[in-house]
Amino acid sequence: MMKNIGIIIELDNGKIKETNFGMITLARADKSQLFAFVMDADTRDLKQELESFGITQLVNISLPPDQQNNPVIRAKAIINAIKAFNISIVFGLSTAMGKDLLPRIAALIEAPLVMDCFHVDLEQNLVKTSQYSGKTIATIKLAGDVLVLGVRPNAVEPIKAQDPGQILELKLDGTHLVSKGFSVIRTGEADKSTTIDLVEADVIIAGGRGMKNSENFTLLSTCAEKLNAAAVGASRVAVDSGWVPYAMQVGQTGEKVSPRVYIACGISGSIQHFAGMKTAGMVIAINTDENAAIMSNCDYYVKADVLEIIPELTKLL
Amino acid sequence: MNKKYDAIIIGAGVIGSPIAYELSRMGYKTLNVDKLHDAGEGSTAGSCAIVRAHYSTADGVAMAYEGFKYWLDWENYLDNVTDEKGLARYMNTGSFLIKSQGHDWKKVKKNYDEVGVRYEELDNDKIKEMVPPADLHEFWPVRRPEDPKFFDEPANEVEGAIFCPEGGYVNDPALSAHNIMRAAEAKGAEFLFNAEVVDIRSEDGKVAGITLKDGTQIDAGIVVNVGGPHSFKINKMAKGVWEGCNIKTKALRHEVMYCPSPDGYDYLNDGYHMSDGDIGCYVRPEVGNTFLIGCEDPDCDPQEWVDPDDFYAGKGGHGKDNVLTEEQWKAQCYRLGKRIPTLQVPNQPKGIVDLYDCSDDWIPVYDKSDLPGFYMAIGTSGNQYKNAPVVGRMMAELIDACEKGLDHDNEPFQYKFKHIDRSTDVGFFSRKREINYNSSFSVNG
Amino acid sequence: MQIYVCVKHVPDSAVNITIVDKNSIDENITFLLNPYDEHAITEAVQIKKNLPGSEVIAVCLGKTDARNTLRSALAMGADRGILIVSENGCDSIETAKALKAAMEQDGSPGLIFTGRESIDAEGMQTMFRIGALFNFPVATNVVKLDIEADRAVVNSELSGGTANTYDMSLPCVIGAGRGLNTPDYPTFRDVVNSKKKPIKTIVFSELNIEASLAGANIIELEPLQQKREPKEITGDKAVIAKEIVKILRDKAKVI
Repeated sequence: MMKNIGIIIELDNGKIKETNFGMITLARADKSQLFAFVMDADTRDLKQELESFGITQLVNISLPPDQQNNPVIRAKAIINAIKAFNISIVFGLSTAMGKDLLPRIAALIEAPLVMDCFHVDLEQNLVKTSQYSGKTIATIKLAGDVLVLGVRPNAVEPIKAQDPGQILELKLDGTHLVSKGFSVIRTGEADKSTTIDLVEADVIIAGGRGMKNSENFTLLSTCAEKLNAAAVGASRVAVDSGWVPYAMQVGQTGEKVSPRVYIACGISGSIQHFAGMKTAGMVIAINTDENAAIMSNCDYYVKADVLEIIPELTKLL
Repeated sequence: MNKKYDAIIIGAGVIGSPIAYELSRMGYKTLNVDKLHDAGEGSTAGSCAIVRAHYSTADGVAMAYEGFKYWLDWENYLDNVTDEKGLARYMNTGSFLIKSQGHDWKKVKKNYDEVGVRYEELDNDKIKEMVPPADLHEFWPVRRPEDPKFFDEPANEVEGAIFCPEGGYVNDPALSAHNIMRAAEAKGAEFLFNAEVVDIRSEDGKVAGITLKDGTQIDAGIVVNVGGPHSFKINKMAKGVWEGCNIKTKALRHEVMYCPSPDGYDYLNDGYHMSDGDIGCYVRPEVGNTFLIGCEDPDCDPQEWVDPDDFYAGKGGHGKDNVLTEEQWKAQCYRLGKRIPTLQVPNQPKGIVDLYDCSDDWIPVYDKSDLPGFYMAIGTSGNQYKNAPVVGRMMAELIDACEKGLDHDNEPFQYKFKHIDRSTDVGFFSRKREINYNSSFSVNG
Repeated sequence: MQIYVCVKHVPDSAVNITIVDKNSIDENITFLLNPYDEHAITEAVQIKKNLPGSEVIAVCLGKTDARNTLRSALAMGADRGILIVSENGCDSIETAKALKAAMEQDGSPGLIFTGRESIDAEGMQTMFRIGALFNFPVATNVVKLDIEADRAVVNSELSGGTANTYDMSLPCVIGAGRGLNTPDYPTFRDVVNSKKKPIKTIVFSELNIEASLAGANIIELEPLQQKREPKEITGDKAVIAKEIVKILRDKAKVI
């Protein structure tokens, strides 16, 4: 039996984000047809790209322009597509946009949803995701007529699979596209008052004794700005010396963090500091002291002065 | 050929490092070995590093008051050594001892008078002036939140407090041990890290040296056990040592809580160290404008004796491993919340779990052993951080005297303090002593 | 106004997680009120202060011990609690149905809060399911909230520094984000006073939730071990910087 799989393509200014291709690769399976759902561009412009990763059905979903950015409308439009094309599995990226869209879809059709999947088995309807603040991997079995999956960006290397595709238009029944009691006032507005939260950041650049003073911490914040969703942290020494506020402290008696990447700048890596970041996905240590504990407890180490390396790194980002 | 030293000191914490420093100054060639990667990374790092003088014995008070002088003059004590990590700082906040039923404060006062510790007696009004958020009701006896009577309304007030202007805490205990290490190295001491001792060798009835986990053998005619919570395991490695001790040591798990100071109270800059037997807590300021809340081991609190290796490896489960428990978080924070009614207690426990190397009577064992050449500075029971520089000197002099023929067991070494006019009978710390029932049997010492 | 806050009893993020029987965890650890729910409770209590005559009701689906989390919510200012006891785990679909049924049975929600996600399952979806069941509008990761007479204007954070602004009619469902407020923790007096606040207990089966054919079930849990084998990055500073960028892009995949 042919499975119809729907993939919600995320675009940025009309261009397909790179991360979609890994998701498409993940979604490909034997005896399945891949439908790309595009709400923010004309699939004719994206045909070659999507075909090169195995999409055979390119669906244009044309939303009324004043509703384009309303997640309720977008969710209902996708539900239209699910019904129109007999979709049994829906994929989307587990991004900020995905977190506001995929659960709406799942809730409206009472379908199971797992966010942040990094592995799927479409034969058995099994997915893997992490739980308990990065301490465990959960294998989850889904049941239902339609399954909704949020894929971790960059979980999988994109692999090409050329297949000729056809363009389809989804006829939307406007009467169903209603957003009761929910309207969008503004989107994507910069809010300078909020900064990346240390506990939620994907990447943390943390400074310790090797930063030498308060001013040098701006080198870290400049670098963090260049890295998407990066926060600046500090060891207890930096806080105790008055260089940075306590809210930035990572460690046993500060915040416990679990980022994908922890860049330790001039931090020796005391046991108490480790207690706060040992569950980080990857640790990169930069320190002039090759005997510092962190140099033997990391994934990559650099024997150099952090005050020289970080500006170089910032230049390249 | 094995490397040879005059003395091998097992442990580079805040007690092991000053012993090396003082022996080196006396001309001994010393080597500290430590299984961790740097000085002070073991139980020293978990110490609350409080400097105060209220002990239950006059000797205890004297030693603490002597120690205080060293912290005040830190650079000079270290002979102005430079440490690339900077120097630890002693923060003189002053120290309150609440007059409660939980503390034999009258005995403390007597000891203060004997030793010459400066103090004032304050009434509750004066305490309120100095600690505005304080509620001076009497909450005795100390209970746990699981006990419905924990929530009883108080009726009376405490009787005031004894205030010592000389007291406070050291801001970075691990760094203080590191500082002493650098000072010792400047006098010729050597330190070896990532070096775990697995055997203590003896020959002809005397200690001969140590063997490390990687097989390395190092020889010395003097070996000193300063292994902290691991001290009992090390004593068992040396022939006849464990058996020759009447006072034994074992590792006791302890939780220390960090709770934010109430809005409007700058505890970090305006606050005092407070020892409050009425609620079974002691507190001192910590980075982040936090109250560090230690527990004075009231009878109602369970005591968890653990295997130190399992503990540091995170084994043992809830209440036995190195993770804070919600039960103890609430116990310590709510107890403080009675004294400081505006204290807001987060739901997530924050703080440190570490071990005391506890002796049977909570008084240390600073002594030789039944194996000639083997000495021990153990059983610090959570109350000796402040004495570290004194203990370093005292142990060095004891070792030197014994090596030169002193029969310490029968003619106990008398240690002359350098800053206060008094001597102490080191036999007080003997491994052979009977349990000393004058002890408070708590972290108060 | 009746403001309902759905709260969850979750393991403290600091505990060691031990897996038992292949798909469960050893529950002899510290459990507490889900951190995101703290922001929800604090916000609800603040709204109540500005709307005299309102009450804040904390609702929790969990095992019997979850009562402790309701006590925490009450100490933080909720007026009363509802505990739906279920000794079995529930997925998000069942959870939302149970919470909705309990709220409906109890009163008439004017506003419903959840935390943006729970730190154990990290499903991020219960608020949307509750909204769909009630037919109320929903927004999540809310970091700013203004309640006017019959509407709520919210900032729903996308990533640090950017947000969408939505206008929702009341009643609506809000998933609280970390930036919404600073949790207002209880003093000892608050804890004492909250002991008198009532908790109503319902057994899950009493709610007669229709079993759904759709669901998601954990069939296996494995520990995620971090085993590190340090590799040195050498070269002059420009070379090192280039190598770090490469690692961040190709290995860590964060850029």
